[in-house]
Parts: sequence; C-alpha cells; structure tokens
Amino acid sequence: MSSQDWAIEARGLTKTFPGRGKGASPIVAVDHIDLSVAPRTVFGLLGPNGAGKTTTFRMLTTLLPLDSGQATVAGFDLKTQAARVRERIGLVGQLGGADLDATGHENLVLAGRLYGLTATQAQRRADELQEVFDLTGLGNRIARTFSGGQRRRLEIALGMVQQPAVLFLDEPTTGLDPQNRANLWDQLRALRQRGVTVVLTTHYLDEADALADELAIMDQGRVIAHGSPSELKADRGAASLDEVFLTLTGRELRDGGNAVDPQDEGGVA
Amino acid sequence: MSSATSINALTRGAGLVTATRLLVARQLRYMLRQPVWLASGLMTPLLYLALFSPLLSGLGGALAGTPGYAGGSVIDGFMPGLLVLFAFGTGMGAGWTVIGELNSGVIERFRVSPVSRLAILLGTTVKDAVMFIVPAIIVVAVAAVFGFDVHPAGLLLTFVLLAGLAAAISTFSAAVGLKMKVIGSLAAVITGLQLPLTLLSGVLLPMSLGPKWLSVLAHINPMYYATDAARHLCAGQLDVTAWLGFGVVAAVLALALWWGTRVYSRAVA
Repeated sequence: MSSQDWAIEARGLTKTFPGRGKGASPIVAVDHIDLSVAPRTVFGLLGPNGAGKTTTFRMLTTLLPLDSGQATVAGFDLKTQAARVRERIGLVGQLGGADLDATGHENLVLAGRLYGLTATQAQRRADELQEVFDLTGLGNRIARTFSGGQRRRLEIALGMVQQPAVLFLDEPTTGLDPQNRANLWDQLRALRQRGVTVVLTTHYLDEADALADELAIMDQGRVIAHGSPSELKADRGAASLDEVFLTLTGRELRDGGNAVDPQDEGGVA
Repeated sequence: MSSATSINALTRGAGLVTATRLLVARQLRYMLRQPVWLASGLMTPLLYLALFSPLLSGLGGALAGTPGYAGGSVIDGFMPGLLVLFAFGTGMGAGWTVIGELNSGVIERFRVSPVSRLAILLGTTVKDAVMFIVPAIIVVAVAAVFGFDVHPAGLLLTFVLLAGLAAAISTFSAAVGLKMKVIGSLAAVITGLQLPLTLLSGVLLPMSLGPKWLSVLAHINPMYYATDAARHLCAGQLDVTAWLGFGVVAAVLALALWWGTRVYSRAVA
C-alpha cells in the first residue's frame, strides 16, 4: 500500500522524558517504534503497564510532540498537518473524557458543535449516537449518574461524533464487568464493519486475541513483535498469546497489567 | 467505498469565536445548576462591607488624600478596593476547576479536537469575568443602600477594568493548575501569592497610610495599579492613574493569555 492508504504509518517514533530526582537519567518511554495500521481493521497495541502504549497514543493523536520520527495519521502528517489530523481522528482516553456535570445529550451536542456542526445537525447527530450506543433513555441524565458501562458507551459515542476515520481507544475495557466488556467488543467490531479503523491499547491478552486483526506487542518502549494473533502464535509454536509474550520477554502478562517474572513467584517456600 | 483518510469529511471544526461561546456557555451552565456559588461568593464582600468598613471612619483625616474617602463616607473609598479583592477571589479558583477537567479527560478530548487551544482557555477565563460582574452588581446594589455614592460612568469603567483583572487572574490560575496537575501544589502557589498580592495593593487601606518602603514595594504589584485606578474611576476621575490601571491590567491579561495558550497546547494529565 502507498502511504496514502495506511490509516497510520509511523517510523522511528521516539519520546523521552526527563528523569525524576537529582541526576536521574532520562526515561525513554517510546524507543524508535514503527507502526503500520491498515484501514478498516482493528489494530491492537498490547503490552504491560509502563510499556509506552499511552505515550505512543498521545503522540499519534497530536497531544504530545514527537522527539524524533515521523508519522502519517488518517492521511496527514503529524508534525506539519496536525490540525487536519485532529479533524479526522477520535480519542477515547484512559480518563474517559466525558463531562460528568452535563447530561449525555449535552455532552454529545457540544462535541458535535465543536467539530463544526450546526445546532440542528448536532442535535440530530446526538440522537443518532444515543441510539447506536444504547443511551437513548439517558439523554437527560447527568453523566455522573451513569453506570460504568453506560459511561464508557457515552465516551465512545463522544469519540465518534465527528465520524473519524481512525478511532483511538486507550484501555477501553479496563474496569468493566464481563457483560459490558463483551458488549463493548461487539461495538468495536460494528465500528470496523462501518469502515472505521479502530486502534486500541490493551494489557488483556484475551482481548487482543479476540478483537485485533493485527497486533503490535510493546514492552519497555519497543515493539517486540507484530502480526495477527494467529501469526504470532504460529511463528512461535504457541497455543496462546500468553505463551507468545512469555517467550518474547520471559515474563507473564497479568490481568492487572503488570508483567511478572514467573521465577519470582512460588520460589518463596 | 471510503478511503482510509476520511469516512465523511466534516467541516473544519468550530472557529475561535463560536468555540469560545460554546465553551463559556458550558461553564456557565454548570455554575447555574449550582447557585450555591452565588451565596458563598457574596459572603466575603458583604461581610467586609458590614463588619470592616465601619472601622474606617475612625481613621478620618488620615484617609483624606485618597479619592473616594476625601469626599463622602468611608464606603465610597472602600468599595473599589473591595471590588478588586472580589475580582481576585473570583479568578483564583480557576485552577481547581481546570485540574478537575484534566483528571476527567475533558481537556484531553478538547485538545484532540480541532478547537483552538485559546478557545479552550477562554471558556474558563470569560466565565470567571462573568462570575465577577454579576455578583459585583449585587454587592454594589447592597452598598448603595448603605450610602455608596459613585460616579455612574466611572463605575461602569471600573467593572470593565476589574472584569479584565478577574480574567487575568483566572487565566493565570488555570495555567498554574495545568502545570501543577495536583491540587496541593496549585494551592501552595495560589494561596502563597494571594496574601502578598492583596496586602500590597491597598484594597483594604490605602498604601499611602504606611511607610515609604511599603509603598515602593506595592508598585511592583499589578493589583496596586488596578486598585488605585478603581478608586479614581469610582470618584469620577478618568485621569492618568485610571489609564495606567487599564494599561497594567491589559498587559497582565495579554501576558496571561499568551502563557495560558502555550500551557494548554502541552497539557497532559
């Protein structure tokens, strides 16, 4: 595919943060990573806490400047055409982003208007999204009163107001119960059906396995493997992504998001 | 078939004026839903008016040189200072609100959108200017009942001046909030500055009452010029002091907006 056809094409993305404390050396949060995301797919960035997934996201969504490297997102260059990128992407960040003191409807209408819709268009769009994301009864309730699942659906709806070509979701199912998690997976698959490129970070191996068409496994700022879940497993003769991760890093990726050295446990008599 | 770059290229995002208007409305709507702010906001100036200003009549001749005090009752000279105090108090709370927005991901969501960073900042700034003016009118009305005699055009200009001051303080507080990210650190900076700034501006008692060195120190405080200008304006004098006050407030506001926009461009939780 030519550069125009990738939803995201990134080369050599790097981000370094100053070290904390006196004389601490700088932390390389993202270390020269390459990513290629095909359009209309679900792409997963899988890795433990601290791997650099959120920092990568922040660079790709124009929130953080790149220390080095370059990227094209939704067809526009991150550094020189950031404004155009912003018109074509959505982000559902780890913190959610819903205005908790406004109603669901107010949240959606404001988002529509900020993206340039007229008042009427924004109202219509809000109604549409409330239906798609099963929020119709909640339009006039203050977002703070929503349940966890409802709030997450509102946050995703907010990410979709502008009909982005690429939707970024940072750890979208963290904190959700199994039912809401399954619903969310279905929502994301439906978005892909409608032509959205869905890019998500996760530390859940089952989520990566179930949802992603393509994965990049990140650890300590680097992409250590990429491919579809089946390719990754086949290449290493692994039955599951757990095994893949263990083979690659010598650590196990736990549900809490931490990668743990299996030697450290059970060794204590 | 849609391309990778955009499913439906919407408009370019709301312009600066529209976006500002929408974001100010959002903040005001929140305030209107909790009218308790009006009552608690008014308490401080009304208590000063009722319980402190009567003490000033005992100073008699010492206050003679200060505009407002010279002609009429002490209330004429005291009110402008009180309004300055109120403007400062209204503006300084912005940082707290902004940290809340940072933590809920609202600022992140707005920053990923094409909306101007200045508009995001102005949402808070303009809302605080309005939140100064409306209660200030009430305070002046109450003071008028107690004999506050003020030049009408002068009062209007004072409101413009002090709305500008409230806006500057609000912008500064918001920017500090985004930089500090944690309420404890924000509080340390803002409340640390609050006492020196207000004590060295002559809001309660004119600086001329004190020794020369104190007066000299006051001259590095922008609020000193605002207070002086407010006194002159309320007494009906559109003179050098008044113009100087406008100049200082305009400069401080411009500086705050410039710095605030930069901080908003980089803010991550």
